[in-house]
Amino acid sequence: MTEKIILNNVSKKYRIGKSSLNIRTLFNPKRPETKFHWAVKDINFGLNSGESLGIIGPNGAGKTTILKLLSRVTFPTSGSIEMNGRFSALIELGAGFHPELSGRENVFLNGTILGMRKIDIQRRFDQIVEFAGIEKFIDTPVKRYSSGMYARLGFSVAAHVDPEILLVDEVLAVGDMAFQKKCYERMLDLIQNGTTLIFVSHNMRAVQKVCQRSIVMYRGQIAFHGSSSNATAEYSNILRKAATENLDLTPENIVDGIGQRIMTHEALIEHVEIRNINGTPSLSFESGEKVRVRALVKTSAIVESPVIAITIRTPEGQVVYDFTTEWAEIETPSFQANKAFVLEFPLELNLSSGTFQLGVNMAYKDLSRYYDRIDRALDFVIVSANGSRGISDLKAGLEISDDSGIIFQ
Amino acid sequence: MYSSLKKTELINYKDLLIAWTSRIIRARYQQSILGGLWAILQPVATVLIFTVVFSYFLKVDTGNIPYIVFSYTAMVPWLFFSTSINEMVESIVSNMNLVSKIYFPREILVMSTLFARLVDFLIAFLLLIVLIIIYQIPVQLTSWLFLPILLLCQAFLALGIGFFVSALNAFYRDVKHVITLIMQLWLYATPIIYPISIVPESIKKIYLFNPMVGIIEGYRSVLLYQKIPDSSFIYSIVISVIILLLGYLFFKKVEMHFADII
Repeated sequence: MTEKIILNNVSKKYRIGKSSLNIRTLFNPKRPETKFHWAVKDINFGLNSGESLGIIGPNGAGKTTILKLLSRVTFPTSGSIEMNGRFSALIELGAGFHPELSGRENVFLNGTILGMRKIDIQRRFDQIVEFAGIEKFIDTPVKRYSSGMYARLGFSVAAHVDPEILLVDEVLAVGDMAFQKKCYERMLDLIQNGTTLIFVSHNMRAVQKVCQRSIVMYRGQIAFHGSSSNATAEYSNILRKAATENLDLTPENIVDGIGQRIMTHEALIEHVEIRNINGTPSLSFESGEKVRVRALVKTSAIVESPVIAITIRTPEGQVVYDFTTEWAEIETPSFQANKAFVLEFPLELNLSSGTFQLGVNMAYKDLSRYYDRIDRALDFVIVSANGSRGISDLKAGLEISDDSGIIFQ
Repeated sequence: MYSSLKKTELINYKDLLIAWTSRIIRARYQQSILGGLWAILQPVATVLIFTVVFSYFLKVDTGNIPYIVFSYTAMVPWLFFSTSINEMVESIVSNMNLVSKIYFPREILVMSTLFARLVDFLIAFLLLIVLIIIYQIPVQLTSWLFLPILLLCQAFLALGIGFFVSALNAFYRDVKHVITLIMQLWLYATPIIYPISIVPESIKKIYLFNPMVGIIEGYRSVLLYQKIPDSSFIYSIVISVIILLLGYLFFKKVEMHFADII
């Protein structure tokens, strides 16, 4: 059996910050030094036909870069990639869909972008439409489609390309549950028929369902390669291990200025960590876990009843939780000059699984300025036991009753 | 770097070229009342303006051919050339969301832009035939056999430039503005709204470096004077083929960076 995919020491380097030249940099004798970032480094793996591989890992670990390299959207800086066979990539659903055109026209457009011949699409057209479940709307312009219908049609086309190699990014999260199940079944079907599948997901259950093997990506490198169930366990371990590594808060090490400090420095937030119930610092928690956020503060002047706040954001920047002593109407004491203090915030992390960012700040009593402010002191990960999704974990259960009382709990 | 399936690739993507071309055309005339009529209205309006200027205010001698036919004959191929280049410049950048996510031969985006404009050209050309009939200009069908060659030559030239500038524009957006400017100037450097006979002898040598001169004069010879294109057209063919080859090579050399630079 020939190997369908072989990656040999594949690395990809991206330039960080302002790209290329413009008038200003052209006439500036001191060109700013270009910084590089290795999105993935030394990736090796191979897959035979009918094999499937899951790729899991936190945001920014290089999962999507691998998919882009495999689908030839971008090219490796070093190393080689071998792909033997017709591939289809589900990196974006409904790529090339034009809102003004009908579903029918868009199926042909999308199908040909994915490399299908027109006759192949014609032959499978009914199957595609049936799988998407939008027979009634196939001649309606897709601009009138709901996002669910749009995604269903997009997946349906890609899944019928009949590829020898199928690359799937985390695009299934959009559909409803019934459709997701259909998608997983379709993927399993394809694998059984000899398709080689690579599946990138945050949803570890889905990965376990579809893939025999998985790799865990961390900071651009393969941190683990093995069976999917071991990979899932290893993923949590890796996150814990990362927590013990020293987190560097110096501004230069925080890319893109997210962790900017705009402040007077009369009080400095020197160190931030989250401790679990046993008092050990960690970056990975169970959903609902009771923790304490600890911030070490050093003052260089008298700090008069400051407003102290902590914020939790999603990686997309959406505020999940914002707590300030001002809103809580807590009158904070004044801090003496040239002393160290420890601030502790008890928290209950009722969050769904995912990555979150913790920020801590101290502002003047009148909110005119900050003493110190760190928007992204650290990233932490929530592992959810009940598999719920979203941002918060509202701890749903299920009870069913009929006239005789509760019949299921 | 990749062991690829080059042989089957272009055959596989031939249908994409057709589908993408029809997407551009449909999208262009969707929700528009006049639809495909715009393909005729644009050259007609341009020609009418120049007809008013050059037949009434500033008399230009176009021999026994009425000015309106004289300039329309050149304006239709010129607008095909200039609009398609102006649109090809942006064909990569405006589809960045696709280019950065999905693999397909990127030249399809450039080529389909040209083909979509070819349809407009053919529509506008129908009106030209009507004009030739109305003004009773004699027709020699054997010289019309040169029309496909003229069209192919100008398409090669446009596509070569299109490959070059669309790739450059992905890196430097200034290119788009430069091209708009160049196309405006190029109109005046080509005998479209005036006959080549008024070009002073002293600059004629430089003037003939412009490959569009041979092409536009070729169209006029064939359609208005029942003659085959003169020797300047051979020069145009050579230049067009060279530019197409260089443009395509340049495009293929830099296309692998498209997805990384946005």
